[in-house]
Amino acid sequence: MVQLFNRVVPGIIVVLFCLVVFPLKLAAAENGEYIAIRKEGSGNIALVLDKLDANGKKESKFAQSLDTIMHDGLDFTKIFSLISPPLNVKDFTDKKNVVINFGALTSVGAEVYAGGTLTRKSGMINLDMKVYDASGSKLLLSKTYTGREEGLRSIGHAFCADLIELLTGKKSVFGSKIVFISNKTGFKEIYECDFDGYGVAQLTNLKSIAMNPALSPDGKHLAYIGFASGRPTLYIRNLVDGKIASVSKSGVSIDPGWRNNTEVAATLSPEGNQEIFLVNTDGSLSKRVTNNKSIDISPTFSPDGTKMAFVSSRNGLPQIFVQDMQSGLVKRLTFSGRYNTQPAWSPLGDKIAYTTWEKNGEINIFVVNADGSGLKQLTQNSRENKSPSFSPDGEMIVYTSNRQGREKVYVMSSKGGNERLLLQGDDVQTQPSWSLFR
Amino acid sequence: MKTMKPLLRTLFIPTMLFLGACACCEETVVAPPPPPPPVIVLPGLGDVFYDFDRSELRADAVDQLKTNANWIQANATHNVIIEGHCDERGTSEYNLALGERRANSAKDYIVNLGVAPARLKTVSFGEEKPFADGHNEEAWAQNRRAHFVAE
Repeated sequence: MVQLFNRVVPGIIVVLFCLVVFPLKLAAAENGEYIAIRKEGSGNIALVLDKLDANGKKESKFAQSLDTIMHDGLDFTKIFSLISPPLNVKDFTDKKNVVINFGALTSVGAEVYAGGTLTRKSGMINLDMKVYDASGSKLLLSKTYTGREEGLRSIGHAFCADLIELLTGKKSVFGSKIVFISNKTGFKEIYECDFDGYGVAQLTNLKSIAMNPALSPDGKHLAYIGFASGRPTLYIRNLVDGKIASVSKSGVSIDPGWRNNTEVAATLSPEGNQEIFLVNTDGSLSKRVTNNKSIDISPTFSPDGTKMAFVSSRNGLPQIFVQDMQSGLVKRLTFSGRYNTQPAWSPLGDKIAYTTWEKNGEINIFVVNADGSGLKQLTQNSRENKSPSFSPDGEMIVYTSNRQGREKVYVMSSKGGNERLLLQGDDVQTQPSWSLFR
Repeated sequence: MKTMKPLLRTLFIPTMLFLGACACCEETVVAPPPPPPPVIVLPGLGDVFYDFDRSELRADAVDQLKTNANWIQANATHNVIIEGHCDERGTSEYNLALGERRANSAKDYIVNLGVAPARLKTVSFGEEKPFADGHNEEAWAQNRRAHFVAE
């Protein structure tokens, strides 16, 4: 009976969850050909994002802002080739029934057309969006997005997120956050910004040194290393109630990495030797994970939490190893490069990114499959590139580079390419970490 | 005699009040000296230096560590903090680990010479607090150190 209960109830919950949360998924499944385009890796989706229709002066201004927000948002993902709408894309001869000229769309090579109308009612914005398959002139999505006038960014990004999920079958980066360290105030403090670098906000005021910020998967806790007590200490801040827990044991604390919403792993040395421990969100120690005389640091977990990649100097110079959390068995992952550190496990589970300090002095980012195969170099000839962290959809990597002088936050495709500066400013930016939520 | 009493009283009382007031004033003027600064670096304690990516003691560290141990034994009122530092190369998480191992190797040597471990604290600053600002081996060699601070 209990067994049956255990099997049936989760099943029902999953079905209900899917029905409530993923009505779009069903629509996406019907349009499988678009998902197939991406899977075959046949390049970017050719999209015409038309200018929004709006009546009235204020409405037109909001529509223009939203045009920019949606264009920049979709462009950031590098999933699309954005094609300017052809002049005759809409036929206005019958003002009550504006017709989309699909012939004009296909002639400019568009695969997908997105357009809509903005209206305003008592301070609220209504955005009616329609997405068509340009060749088959088939309606793929019709949805209204509503929000306050000051929330244009979230309205536009909600559509962007739906469009990407519809066309790729995967969740996008819209809504995710990046935390990082900046010396803007003269101290090393933790900051956050949106996935695209928008809305930078200072999170700590330690007037000391902060290192290695990491958000829990649910975004409710922020783990970091702080020197406010005079020595490097692991802090876990509850972002809901603001309470801060710390590890009170003596010794060092280094580079936290979350295993799930309640356990964060970090290097501690309560008995002198540095080992990786699992720590609860109240700062209490849950379990020692490593047992080796050498340096063991920088834990990062497979999405299911069953495997941990980390750095160890057990063979001499630092290399990346993978430990099975159940059996404790450890396998060496990296064999090329003399100094490999800073591993980051992709949220998709398949790949691990890390940095190699090369003989010529460069530090470069590599990715390798979790089984050690398929090694690929992502950065080169650009001085020091450090601290890779995957976007929640696994499509991008945030990292730092000092290629233009000071160390700054950059993003690139997780397959390499599209490297670009994320944040302007004169400050030194280090140790970015992308949230898993979005 | 009897006629003198009120006169004595009139002289005596103001005199005592005056003296009392002076005593009060004197107490506030002679305030206790400010406490000495809590951290002082005294001659005798010196830093030791490390090779690239190593935390083992170099041969040239031994004499300095013996001097430091003698100083600590002779200055029983001071405990000592040993800070482990690294140069800027490599990655900061690894350097934070390496810094602690440097501080520990210096501490272990001094404890073996007979200093009570309770008098020694270690802390790692990794590459966060370089002593020399340059980006060359001269600066790096100075930054790979265990720095001794008397409490």
